[in-house]
Amino acid sequence: MSTPAAQYVPGQASADGIAARARGLTKAYGSGETTVLALDSVDVDIARGRFTAVMGPSGSGKSTLMHCLAGLDTVSAGQVWLGDTEITGLKERELTRLRRDRIGFMFQSFNLIPTLNAAENITLPMDIAGKKADEKWLDQVIDTLGLRDRLGHRPSQLSGGQQQRVACARALASRPELIFADEPTGNLDSRAGLEVLGFLREAVDQLGQTVVMVTHDPGAAAHSDLVLFLADGRIVDEMERPTAEAVLERMKRFDVSRAPFDGAPGEEAAPGGQAVPGEEAAPAEGTPRDGGIASDGTPGKD
Amino acid sequence: MLKATLRSFLAHKGRLLLSALAVVLSVAFVAGSLIFSDTLSRTFDRLFASTAPDVTVSPKETLKEGVPSGMTATLPAALAERVARVDGVADARADAEVQNITVVDSDNESVGPTTGAPTIGTDWSPDQRSPVELTSGHAPRGPAEALLDSESADRKHVRIGDTLTVIAGPGSFKVRVVGIATFTTTNPGAALLFLDTPTAQQKLLGNPRAATSISVDAAEGVSDAQLKQRVAAAVGANRYEFRTADEQAKSDVDQLGGFLDVIKYVMLGFAGIAVLVGVFLIVNTFSMLIAQRTRELGLLRALGADRRQVRRSVLTEALLLGLVGSTLGLATGIGLAAGLITLMNTFGMNIKSSEMVIGWGTPVAAYVVGVGVTFVAAYLPARRAAGVSPMAALADAEIAGIGRPLRTRAIVGAVVGALGAAALVGCVTASRTASAASLLGLGVVLTLLATVIAGPLLVRPVIRVLGGAFPALFGSVGRMSQRNALRNPRRTGATAAALMVGLALVGGMSVASASMTKSFDQQIDRTLGADYVIQNSNFLPFPEELTDAVRDTPGAGLVVRSRFTPVAVRLPDGDRVETTAAAYDPRLDEVAHITYAQGDTPAALAAGRIAMDRDFARDHGARVGSTVPVEFQGGRTTRLTVGALTDQDSAEGFGTEGGLYFGLATLEKSAPAGQDSALYVNAASGTSDDELRTALERTLDPYPQVQVRDLADYKKLVHDQIAVLLYLVYALLGLAIVIAVLGVVNTLALSVVERTREIGLLRAIGLARRQLRRMIRLESVVIAVFGAVLGLALGLVWGVCIQQVLALQGLTAFAVPWTTIVAVVVGSAVVGVVAALLPALRASRMNVLAAIAHE
Repeated sequence: MSTPAAQYVPGQASADGIAARARGLTKAYGSGETTVLALDSVDVDIARGRFTAVMGPSGSGKSTLMHCLAGLDTVSAGQVWLGDTEITGLKERELTRLRRDRIGFMFQSFNLIPTLNAAENITLPMDIAGKKADEKWLDQVIDTLGLRDRLGHRPSQLSGGQQQRVACARALASRPELIFADEPTGNLDSRAGLEVLGFLREAVDQLGQTVVMVTHDPGAAAHSDLVLFLADGRIVDEMERPTAEAVLERMKRFDVSRAPFDGAPGEEAAPGGQAVPGEEAAPAEGTPRDGGIASDGTPGKD
Repeated sequence: MLKATLRSFLAHKGRLLLSALAVVLSVAFVAGSLIFSDTLSRTFDRLFASTAPDVTVSPKETLKEGVPSGMTATLPAALAERVARVDGVADARADAEVQNITVVDSDNESVGPTTGAPTIGTDWSPDQRSPVELTSGHAPRGPAEALLDSESADRKHVRIGDTLTVIAGPGSFKVRVVGIATFTTTNPGAALLFLDTPTAQQKLLGNPRAATSISVDAAEGVSDAQLKQRVAAAVGANRYEFRTADEQAKSDVDQLGGFLDVIKYVMLGFAGIAVLVGVFLIVNTFSMLIAQRTRELGLLRALGADRRQVRRSVLTEALLLGLVGSTLGLATGIGLAAGLITLMNTFGMNIKSSEMVIGWGTPVAAYVVGVGVTFVAAYLPARRAAGVSPMAALADAEIAGIGRPLRTRAIVGAVVGALGAAALVGCVTASRTASAASLLGLGVVLTLLATVIAGPLLVRPVIRVLGGAFPALFGSVGRMSQRNALRNPRRTGATAAALMVGLALVGGMSVASASMTKSFDQQIDRTLGADYVIQNSNFLPFPEELTDAVRDTPGAGLVVRSRFTPVAVRLPDGDRVETTAAAYDPRLDEVAHITYAQGDTPAALAAGRIAMDRDFARDHGARVGSTVPVEFQGGRTTRLTVGALTDQDSAEGFGTEGGLYFGLATLEKSAPAGQDSALYVNAASGTSDDELRTALERTLDPYPQVQVRDLADYKKLVHDQIAVLLYLVYALLGLAIVIAVLGVVNTLALSVVERTREIGLLRAIGLARRQLRRMIRLESVVIAVFGAVLGLALGLVWGVCIQQVLALQGLTAFAVPWTTIVAVVVGSAVVGVVAALLPALRASRMNVLAAIAHE
């Protein structure tokens, strides 16, 4: 099978292109009375060549959304496409290959294999696939991320920021259709965090990549082109060309709106990792700021 | 604190299971071997005690037989009448019993046991002490009737009325089976043929007035000791051996004792291996458990538990494991003993499992070994646990063992290794067997210890090489598995050590046996010049009529007889050496090639002459022309003159110190009644070898106890004897592998758990399950092969040293069984694959999301 990734040429990404798409994406945990909906019939399109941030309070389902879009998790209902490939219904083996060949990953921590040096970590997905890396592209990525003199170092010899840069390089190395970054700055100090966000920005602007970043940091979200706000398993809002202040403002409203349910405001209001059962009231109160596209979060065009 | 310990013990029971298995195995072997040998010795004690008469009078045995000579020592049967007249004697009977007869059925097949146990011919004198009773037919009367024991009869389908041929020292004769005798006690495995007393004397001893012993019964109120004293006083204390029932039973048990001891020591050897290898497994498990629980232990410390409490909690856990393991091991040991008893029964020994003896020493040994081993093995990890700082609770869990330097290990390993190497060098350069052997033992123990200590230091260099091709062969999967094996050298070293210990022994012993085989082959090639050798495969002598039959075979040219006899020589330096001498017919040169330092075969075999090994002669101040008094069985001494000195690499084997031999005529003059042990036969001119062989085989058809062998067959016979040693090696290997597999499984399972997040990450970025399994399998293989390579390297060094000790015994050839070595390395890779099955499955089943979300 010739994957769309092979046909996809960076820099020529049409803004019309959709890198990933979900329709009616639902993820439920448990069954019967105790069913918890982590994602409640989410429709979302991730535009190609853009930097999309997914924000929401803890337990809003943002990580679950990412896992489902990336083929790491199975869905309870709905469909997910990566490019033209519907990934819902793919077998485990095909999903593994899809992740390997067409998606790049950055996690909050433990991003690198400790026994491999930076260069080996960067090319790992291609090595696993038994493919040769595109040397020119690889050089460009390495230079962009300033890792040239760190290639022989093991992760334990690198700082947290350097480790995330290596993870970023790995995500970029195979020129995937989509890069998922799950709280990539969560474990970094602010300077190193800014650096990593800068690189992700650069990956989109200069290398033509598509990035989806899950974060709860408004400052990080401000680096994106578009912020999707998730609450209680639904996309409740979106914001183009966000600023940190605007995002923060928007997030504050979640706290206020959630306070009556949880009894206390704040990030940890919802029980860890569990989405609040699909309450109709909460999303309704989070009034969309940009013209009522609540659940059909089609991003606007550049 | 105890409650916390118990909880932790139960929480980790899965992990501890493998350690417990190691304890169970060790204890099972210890307990099993003790129960088995106790049962065996109790059985035989009881048998011999119940069958021994109050006092036994037997001929004085002045020399111990190293190699069977075929002589049967006798005393006059009339002595029984003299003894009967002694005050206090109720009854005295002359017995005629020989241990080395062959009984064949009408198809010329032996009815005796196939296990090497003897066929005993004896007189039928049923009394309350007899181990058998007549269960069918009637007692034998006259020269042509016999009883057979029921087990032999059943085994070979012999029925009353059948005719058997008895091949005894004086000659063959036919008997009709008139009855079947059944053991009322345990049968030690022998076959029994009963004749009436005059027939036994005449046909088995060849002398109607001879007996092999006198059984004396005491009159009422006379103790065995009193009786012995009175009988000895009456017939002359110095001329015969006198034994009370107890002494006789003990002497019988001692005779069997060699065999019992061998079984016991082999079993204890297995137990030793199991204990040794088990220790590594336990140390490793506890180290890893503690590494995993660093946070928990830190928390305990932060909450106020002091070091001693933490240490005690770990040791309590070990104690529990030891107790549980010992209890299960004891039970398994009982099962093992029962299995061994069943096995012995299939070999013809009749021991009832219900008579199993479990002495108080067995459970004591079981618990001492089980709890002791666990406790000792857990002590170091416990100390390390106590060293966990309260800060560990707060910090990220660090994988213990990575950071700590290996300097202490390097120093201790180097010192112990140097001592061991020195001992081995000493062994190689030693010139006396005894000192070489003890240096060898010391060197083996020290080098093993050094390798175990320094093992982790060798992990990096060796695995770099072993796994060097992995990245090229298996890409990044190979690279990661190689580096994973290098990740925690301590753990890899300890895991591999289990396999190493077993394979080092295998390596050493296989080199030793290969060298022995090669030495014997060379010796046979060099010395054997006969077309055919006729011999019993257990080297038992055969009667003269067989020799006559061979001589009369058409096509047989020269026939040279060879016999063995126990002798004691008084040498010029004053030493009295008890050994076995050989005796040959004069034309020895035509069937054997002997290298002489001085003199030749005629000079060696001439009347009144003796030949000996040059080095032996030099050590004892003997020269050609020296006269040495040679004492034969029964006390007769003849003065022989040294006629020749040989320059053989070896005496004919073991127990024949000095390589003494003389003419067969000389032996017959001093000690008649011996039997031939081997016949060397050359074809007559005009007869081809094949014709001669066919003719000889026809001649020997009625004598199934001997076989015709040419050079190749003869070598094979020797190889088969050495192969027994090899079977033991393979059994050791099997046990070592079982335990080593447990160890590798253990390590990998824990590593998989530790690397949950890493595995999750790999799966997330696209590592297929198959690739993940391969990664773990390769790691396992590299660990196993590392253990094998280390073990075999050590074993080869030992093998070189063992060979040097053997060389002092004349076995100078050195051979390395490369096919075995290669097979072991390949086998260890297979072991790695097998050990990785479960951990790999577990890793590949791991939920990717749970693994990456694992915080």
